[in-house]
Amino acid sequence: MPEHSFDTLRSELLESGIAPRHIRRIIAELDDHLEDLKNEAMAEGRTETEAEFAGLDRIGNQKLIAKQMLDTPEFKTWIYRYPKIARVYLPVAYALLLPAAPVFAGIANPRRVIRWGTALMLSAGVTAAMFLSMQLAIALT
Amino acid sequence: MGQTNPPFMSGVPELLLLRLLEQREMYGYELVKAIKLVTGEAISLGEGVIYPVLHSLERGGALKARKKKVDGRTRVYYSLNAKGRTRLERLQGEWARIQSGVSAALEAPANA
Repeated sequence: MPEHSFDTLRSELLESGIAPRHIRRIIAELDDHLEDLKNEAMAEGRTETEAEFAGLDRIGNQKLIAKQMLDTPEFKTWIYRYPKIARVYLPVAYALLLPAAPVFAGIANPRRVIRWGTALMLSAGVTAAMFLSMQLAIALT
Repeated sequence: MGQTNPPFMSGVPELLLLRLLEQREMYGYELVKAIKLVTGEAISLGEGVIYPVLHSLERGGALKARKKKVDGRTRVYYSLNAKGRTRLERLQGEWARIQSGVSAALEAPANA
């Protein structure tokens, strides 16, 4: 038996793209259901291990539970529900928008961009003045 | 008791769950016990299969779920709402139509 009774189901649902909140909820409900079944079996005189096995048997085939969850697309995360958008359109849109990122940054933080632009122009001016004075010094000697 | 979910059972758990929840709010284990009781154990499901059905009905707006602490355990209780009642009426109508169709077919002479 796995460490946790519904580990296999949890992994299968996760790998198939079921949203974690739906997984957490169904596992919690199945855990609670199993607890009730165990109590019922132990009240009939079974040991805890026997009761757990009997409970799991009554819960039924976990693959079938997983299949039912997978048959409802609304339980999946949007990446699995709209794979074309997530894997094609969105990356392309990001790639197209990337060059416009500085413009958006400028709109969002105009002061910072002005400061950054002024500093850049100043440093370019200083560098140009240094080159010019060097050139002049060479020409005059 | 064998636990089978044959293909012709499709839609039956949903109908039974809606019918039972029409009477009062219940949680999963309670619902399974109620199904056994009202069907005279004629319908035997893997008990875990009711949860995806309940979640799907809730997602579709037919059921309302609320968490409730009982004896230190948190249980999810389900109840029927207006949309669920409409759905139950529709399903009951469909079921009656299928039932009368199958009955008519079974009663008809074999060489008809």
